Amino acid sequence: MNSNMIKWCSRSWMFAVYFFLYMPIVTLVIYSFNDSQLVTVWSYASMRWYAVLMQDSDLIAAVVLSLKIASFSAIISVFFGILTAFALNRYKRFFGRMLLSSMASAPLVMPDVIVGLSLLLMLVSMQHWLGYPERGLLTILLGHALLGTAYATVVVTSRLREMDGQLDEAAMDLGCHPWQVFSLVTLPLLLPALVSAFLLTFTLSFDDVVLSSFLSGPGYSTLPMVIFSRARLGLNPSINAVATVTIAIVTIAVIASSFYSAQQERRRKREQAQAYSDANT
Amino acid sequence: MSIAPKGNAVCEDLLRVEEVTKIYDGTIKAVDNVSLTVASGEIFALLGGSGCGKSTLLRMIAGFEAPTQGKIFLAGEDITHLPPYQRPINMMFQSYALFPHLTVWDNIAFGLRRDHLPKEQIVARVESMLSLVQLSQYANRKPHQLSGGQQQRVALARSLAKRPKLLLLDEPLGALDKKLRETTQLELVNIIEEVGVTCVLVTHDQEEAMTMASRIAVMSEGHFLQLGSPDDIYEMPNSRQVADFIGNINIFDGIVEEVESDHVIVRSADCSHYVGYGMSGNSGRAVGVALRPEKILLSKEKPAGKYNWCDGEVTEIVYFGAYTTYHLKLNSGKLIKVQTLNNARDLSGNFSLGDRAFAQWSDLAMAVLTQ
Amino acid sequence: MERSSDGRVDAVKGQVMHKISNALRNFSAGRHLLIGVPYLWFLLLALVPLLIVLKISLSEMEVTSVSSMISWRQGWPTLKLNFSSYLFISSDALYVQTYLSSLKYALLTTLICLAIGYPFSYFMARSAKHLQPTLLMLIMLPFWTSFLLRIYAWKMLLVNNGVINNVLMSIGMIDAPLEMMNTPFSLMVGMVYSYLPFMILPLYANLSKLDLRYLEAAADLGANPFKTFWLITVPLSKAGIIAGAMLVFIPALGEYVIPELLGGPNTLMIGRVLWDEFFSNNDWPMASAVAVLMVLLIMLPMAIYNKYQSEQSGLNS
Repeated sequence: MNSNMIKWCSRSWMFAVYFFLYMPIVTLVIYSFNDSQLVTVWSYASMRWYAVLMQDSDLIAAVVLSLKIASFSAIISVFFGILTAFALNRYKRFFGRMLLSSMASAPLVMPDVIVGLSLLLMLVSMQHWLGYPERGLLTILLGHALLGTAYATVVVTSRLREMDGQLDEAAMDLGCHPWQVFSLVTLPLLLPALVSAFLLTFTLSFDDVVLSSFLSGPGYSTLPMVIFSRARLGLNPSINAVATVTIAIVTIAVIASSFYSAQQERRRKREQAQAYSDANT
Repeated sequence: MSIAPKGNAVCEDLLRVEEVTKIYDGTIKAVDNVSLTVASGEIFALLGGSGCGKSTLLRMIAGFEAPTQGKIFLAGEDITHLPPYQRPINMMFQSYALFPHLTVWDNIAFGLRRDHLPKEQIVARVESMLSLVQLSQYANRKPHQLSGGQQQRVALARSLAKRPKLLLLDEPLGALDKKLRETTQLELVNIIEEVGVTCVLVTHDQEEAMTMASRIAVMSEGHFLQLGSPDDIYEMPNSRQVADFIGNINIFDGIVEEVESDHVIVRSADCSHYVGYGMSGNSGRAVGVALRPEKILLSKEKPAGKYNWCDGEVTEIVYFGAYTTYHLKLNSGKLIKVQTLNNARDLSGNFSLGDRAFAQWSDLAMAVLTQ
Repeated sequence: MERSSDGRVDAVKGQVMHKISNALRNFSAGRHLLIGVPYLWFLLLALVPLLIVLKISLSEMEVTSVSSMISWRQGWPTLKLNFSSYLFISSDALYVQTYLSSLKYALLTTLICLAIGYPFSYFMARSAKHLQPTLLMLIMLPFWTSFLLRIYAWKMLLVNNGVINNVLMSIGMIDAPLEMMNTPFSLMVGMVYSYLPFMILPLYANLSKLDLRYLEAAADLGANPFKTFWLITVPLSKAGIIAGAMLVFIPALGEYVIPELLGGPNTLMIGRVLWDEFFSNNDWPMASAVAVLMVLLIMLPMAIYNKYQSEQSGLNS
């Protein structure tokens, strides 16, 4: 086998995998512009299902609820994620450290159905004893925040690990009180990780169907719950339209963020070049 | 805050470490009952291999670790339990620990801002620090846009900016490559002397310690093996461990035959040593005689007298350019190293492999090691 | 005047700060808070719920609630354990079969993901350096779009009057639609599709760090490219293979959404059984017992993985 053939093989293999990954998404988008009531039989292009979407009050209410839950969940997750990551990273030995780290990674490895079931059973017993909380937004939020905290902890921990441990000491050495060390040195260096943890936990929450189904009460349906219940019954052109809208938003966000970071990189390079030329004159 | 007087004028003790012990996990003794004083204006080096406790001692002085026992005083004040941010001590970290999100200027100003100095004063101080380390034109760069040597100078400027009473250097040249080290070493000493700050440095590199410090403490397993000036430690090591650690050395195992107030005679397997100074202890004691390779003279003729020479066969010749090291196999089978300066271009008349050669040395070239 | 009073205020402020910081240090309240808060959070939301599940799995279902485990008899608490759910599961062939078929599907998913993902990651790690970030982003991009919608897309493709059948019939390759939906095939397509990125990411991370000099050394010592691949590349990427396999196998084992949407009524997986016991049969103890057994099933590969990791770190240190 010569190297050209190897190259050809590798290219076609990679192309096949990307085709496998993107073909369903592309089909989904294309058929969202299909006028036919039968989702998979193409009649002609129209925006009909988008118009239907605008009238679909169930769906719109679900989107609003999902956005609310996802935003709160992301904020709570990042907050507890920072605390957990710090506790595990800063203190190498304390009573029950092993327990904390395994509890923090449990939601990552447990199937959603188990996390959902166990949280629900706990909330039911809590309600039995305390009469609180009612199942609804708050209980869904708790479930999502638990899952999100586990993911945020991973993201923050990996950033903390690659940070030079002497930076904290240097800050303290130069006169920073512990809280100043955090606000002046650790937090600014952690910021990119916090942004990605926020986006990740937001997406997780916005995407979740299993936990929400266990934890929601009557009248609280998140967007994935609505989609799931419709998809279970069969194909539904409104789902295609929803999918296209979310895909469009995600694509725009990803392109914008990569454009922004490329611009930042260019600016940094330009400044660097400027600094070098200044140094030489 | 005041600066120590210019130059290395030695005043009263600035730093006093009293019987400090650090025990980790209840069992591991990192530092074992160490006491030391550092005078104002002095450059003091803690020298030792990894895990000898030198870094732990430095970190206790900086305030990052609390001693298990003992006290630390700075200018007469007990600072043992003062947090690092309240000590008038600054440290230059091994990794430099420059804040990656701040410019050179902001890195240097960082400590001054914590003291809430007036703005004009901060500007003036940072500018003077930048010119001290000759980095004024790099003020607006981020640390990752600087070379290793430049980063090191920023770290130095940052740790000097607050005019600390005591400057701590943790392996100051450890992150630099060998060629850069020598010039940086001199620069560093010049700047420290110009500022006149008292300095404690930690290093595993004996050359670095000897060229930079006015006094050295050799550490091993948490305690001091020897404390003295660089030449004391080089010329008069007090133990085999110190002798082995500092430079190349030949050690002859022998028995003391005669002890007088002005000399000692030691008999080893290959020769009799007449040591030109007295020592305590009785004859019959087993000791080691330490002899540096560069203090030995190699000749083809048998030396006169009965002391301080031996003969053997040249088994290896290693040419270093400026000098050559000969390995001599003595009659007992012991190997010794002899170093000769190549101060003539003509190398004929030197020894070749298999030659018999006589090694001789003066009676003040040796150190008697009792432990 | 003003200045000196400012100075005094500053001095007082400084003193107060000093006292607070000393107090914080002495009682290490910061430490307790930093450890205590996340501890409480996870204790309440991760550990306690699992213990409750364990407890309920050992109880009996009463009309509206679960029987209490501890009853009071003549003033003494008596522990009442009820193993009926577990006994039922272990004696009922359908449950045993469900566990076995879950294991089978999860294992199959892992192997197929490895078979597709390993060559892919290898080629990606060998492609031009400046292309790699883009190639990597293209693998991660579908992750940001809803998982549910991507599964739904496959339903659209695979049903009898779906896109694939329509295309194949219109070009005349088949006369009657292929029966793909609601079969093990459609289930596997959905599972592999969803979990492939989780296999590729750790494998790529591992393979892109592989030192090419090892390969040169092997070639220099006379190994042909296939031998080199098999004897050098594959053993060195073992950690990536294991990490990827864990990331696919464990969630695949408990998957609910994919079998529900693509698997049809006849594909048995534990996640669905748990769901049905809870939502359709309202049998909490049974659902809990299924969950407990599922946790045990997951802990086995986890334990092997942890042992492997600690051995690796032991080797490195």
